[in-house]
Amino acid sequence: MKEGAPRVPPGALARCFGRSLFLQAAWNRRGMQNLGFAYAIFPALSALYADKAVRREALARHLGFFNCHPYAAAAILGGTIHHEEKVAAGLEPPGAPVAYKATLQGPLAAIGDGFFWTALRPLFGALAAVGTLLFGWPALVLTLTIYNAIHLVLRIGFFRTGYRRGDDVVGVIARLSLPAMAERLRLAGAGVCGAAAALVAARADQVPRSGALYAAALVAALGYCALARGAPLFLAAYAAVAVGVGLALLTHLFGSPL
Amino acid sequence: MKLLALGLVAGFAAVERKGFLQAMLSRPIALGAMAGLVAGDLDAGLTVAVPLELLWLGAVNLGAALPVHEALGTVAIAGGAALAAEVLRAGGAGGPALLPAAAAAAVVLCAPLALLGRRAERLVERWNERLYARAEHDLALGDDEAAARVNLYGIALPFAISFLLAPLGALVSATAIPLFLERVPGALPPLALGLVTLSAFSCAAGAKAMRAARAKLVYFAGLLAGLGLFAATVLAGGGP
Repeated sequence: MKEGAPRVPPGALARCFGRSLFLQAAWNRRGMQNLGFAYAIFPALSALYADKAVRREALARHLGFFNCHPYAAAAILGGTIHHEEKVAAGLEPPGAPVAYKATLQGPLAAIGDGFFWTALRPLFGALAAVGTLLFGWPALVLTLTIYNAIHLVLRIGFFRTGYRRGDDVVGVIARLSLPAMAERLRLAGAGVCGAAAALVAARADQVPRSGALYAAALVAALGYCALARGAPLFLAAYAAVAVGVGLALLTHLFGSPL
Repeated sequence: MKLLALGLVAGFAAVERKGFLQAMLSRPIALGAMAGLVAGDLDAGLTVAVPLELLWLGAVNLGAALPVHEALGTVAIAGGAALAAEVLRAGGAGGPALLPAAAAAAVVLCAPLALLGRRAERLVERWNERLYARAEHDLALGDDEAAARVNLYGIALPFAISFLLAPLGALVSATAIPLFLERVPGALPPLALGLVTLSAFSCAAGAKAMRAARAKLVYFAGLLAGLGLFAATVLAGGGP
């Protein structure tokens, strides 16, 4: 960047990041996260473009379609501010930030959905569930704290890297090998769910109904098979409750079947 | 007062799950505990939080797909279970089966709210298109600050929907469950076992939601290892 080129001050950058936490506040089918993105980047545009007409034009280009994973979008927000600084300095055409967003939103959405939504968060959900079963609410608080430490460090890191490195953010995120890590986290999550099922069954032994342990273990096994064969989740859940109620009634009427 | 507090928790969760932050505070495991706490019974909240978290582990926003509204369902269920158990205890009921039975009944009654919430979210998305039009209008008028601020108005409707529906669900539970269980006290143990089998099924649903190629193998390995460990503990005289 040339000497004296306009830069977004740190305070405005912090406001942009803070506003990015509202990225999906007005999610809509036409522009998806467009309103959230325009809201998030506005402090940077205000800092870069003193001329109201130019600023309006800049905001208008960020009201176009945008959709990404909300955590990973922080990288695009940072990178877009990087490009807006170049536009303000006359080093790039006004279309450059929009092209940057269009190029990155798909790949980063795939990485974010695959890592955070279908791996990290479900794993921590399962860990929190098992921890709560074993140790009560302190385990829940601890699990959520660890998850959010990871989440916020990555989210802030994405934003900073995007802002500092611009287009190079892709390489930085690629080096994290998030898709490979996601697969391992998903497997760990499945294992934790299996352990949770065993724990539920073991605790069922305390229910004053003989056979509760076997019923729980059987439902945990058959439930997976039913879902794998395409059983609808809601109906299967109601069926699971009905199995427990029915078994208890049968036990009451005819004695323990197991 | 408790219903109002449940409404506020549900409203906050509805915003947190999509519109702001997304720090797992609106996941059933956290939200069930919070709803139980504000309804005066943390145990009731935790009793439903664990199975609901695992049941809805796969409820995530992927692209434009809408999952069930697990937050709305969770507050209604946890609040309903806590309030129903309170009414039952006040009526002289007790025993270890009371809370699990109330929880199972609350799940049966209020889980459909999660589906209703998904429908409501579709309406919210359509409503937000009007906000988009409003932002364009503000910008055309030259008010760029107002155009940027429009985004925040999107928080109001999800908050309002959950603020109204979740306490309503809890109220229905708190009314219907004690009425039923006071007339049919023999239903307590069967419903308690119903919660156990639901919890076991939820673990299966959680593993299935992991979307990993070898998830089945690892899930069953975890299940068998856990049961084996339990059997070994019992055989060694350690008890469950």
